[in-house]
Amino acid sequence: MDLVKFINVNKQFGNKKILKDINLTIPKGRIIGLLGKNGTGKTTLIKLINDLLTPTSGEILVNGKRVGVESKKVISYLPERTYLDKSMTVDQVIAYFEDFYKDFSKTKARKLLKDLDLDTTQKLSKMSKGMQEKVQLVLVMSRKADLYILDEPLGGVDPATRDYILDTILNNFNEDASVIISTHLIADIERILDEVIFIDKGKIILQSDADELRKKEKESIDEIFRRMFKC
Amino acid sequence: MLKKLLKYDLKSINIVLIVFYGLSIFFSILTRIFLSIENSFIFNVIGQICNGTMIAMMFNIIINNLIRLWVRFKQNFYGDESYLTHTLPVEKKTLYLSKFIVSVITLLISILVIVLSLFIAHYSKENIELVKNLLLPLATIYDSTVIGIIFSFVFVIFLELFNMLQSGYVGIVLGHRKNNNKMLFTFIYGFIIYLLTQIFALAVVFLVALFNKDIMNLFYSMETLNVDMIKLCIYLAVGVYMTNIIVLYIVNSKLFSKGVNVD
Repeated sequence: MDLVKFINVNKQFGNKKILKDINLTIPKGRIIGLLGKNGTGKTTLIKLINDLLTPTSGEILVNGKRVGVESKKVISYLPERTYLDKSMTVDQVIAYFEDFYKDFSKTKARKLLKDLDLDTTQKLSKMSKGMQEKVQLVLVMSRKADLYILDEPLGGVDPATRDYILDTILNNFNEDASVIISTHLIADIERILDEVIFIDKGKIILQSDADELRKKEKESIDEIFRRMFKC
Repeated sequence: MLKKLLKYDLKSINIVLIVFYGLSIFFSILTRIFLSIENSFIFNVIGQICNGTMIAMMFNIIINNLIRLWVRFKQNFYGDESYLTHTLPVEKKTLYLSKFIVSVITLLISILVIVLSLFIAHYSKENIELVKNLLLPLATIYDSTVIGIIFSFVFVIFLELFNMLQSGYVGIVLGHRKNNNKMLFTFIYGFIIYLLTQIFALAVVFLVALFNKDIMNLFYSMETLNVDMIKLCIYLAVGVYMTNIIVLYIVNSKLFSKGVNVD
């Protein structure tokens, strides 16, 4: 069974169509790059899987069931923004995740935070945005989920932090799980991708195995992307 | 899951309100101390200042309470924090139920603190006698005690505040279903919903007035209310507000169940 299935999904805001007739399947155990320029519908697609948006028409299934409580139990989602209650300390946020997610490992989170040399009694509001994002990444990757969805995890960070983020993802995701990474910084993640999905103007224009695509086009994914999305 | 949501919601709201609760009680104690010192003009002035501050704190508690509950509702369901709220493995109606229960608890605590502050500052045999004399005729008609009458008034005030709060929640939910100018529509819808609940209240009073001359006099004369009518008005107010609260709760739950669109 496919992990995620989009069936004729459309999403529009007013008269503006953001996603057009999306039919897509996300298999299990793959690292998938959701690639596209800014404003092409990547985040909208991700938000639909996470029940943050409601489709205008069509259906989204996770493990064969409609998006809802059951899908949220198995999806670990890192949004592109800081979304935790900033009045909480890191310890309190860990307790919060432990309370709500059965698959959350407190031990793993503490270990990863220790590597960051972070004072867990500190309030999030006292931390830099970069540090808050690292805390969020640690929390998301400390779950034993079926699907990790990471929306622009590399956006606006320095190369050293990019390496830290990619290493954290690779070393901590559940091996039977799938990972969807949405980004336009393809060169940085190309090496870890099993599969790519290209999205443009609200439509899926390509879904392929990463190695097969490279062989077929005799180019790197980054080069293919640049060629296809040339302005 | 509801218990866990309640734990975090209650903590988040009351962590600030507790400061105002403390200040209100603190100034009520000061009021009592300074006003109990006889034959001193200065202490009397200080006592009056403390009394004024205590009353300001009471208003502050109510206003702060409403605003904080609305802001948290907005932040949790449509702000940055909504990315966490809506991805928790919890039914949307449970998320809303938690906010509903927390609103009830917080408003009740606030009203309790206000009553307690007034009691600390102004309790005396003379004042109790004064209140008793004022309310005893009503209590007799009501077949109740003075305490019962006070409780009824406080309960109606609680229901009115809660009705206002819920109207605001519906306004936020409806406003955020729009694609643009969400905050503007939040205010407009909130105001319209509150207005509708008040019009409904008036319509119910008018309906009852069709069968009750005394109530009809409210619409056509300037006569003061008699105790019988006050009793009926309290019953009506409780009935109407309870209906409003239940209807608004169902509306919000249904709207949430249809899904959200978070920016």
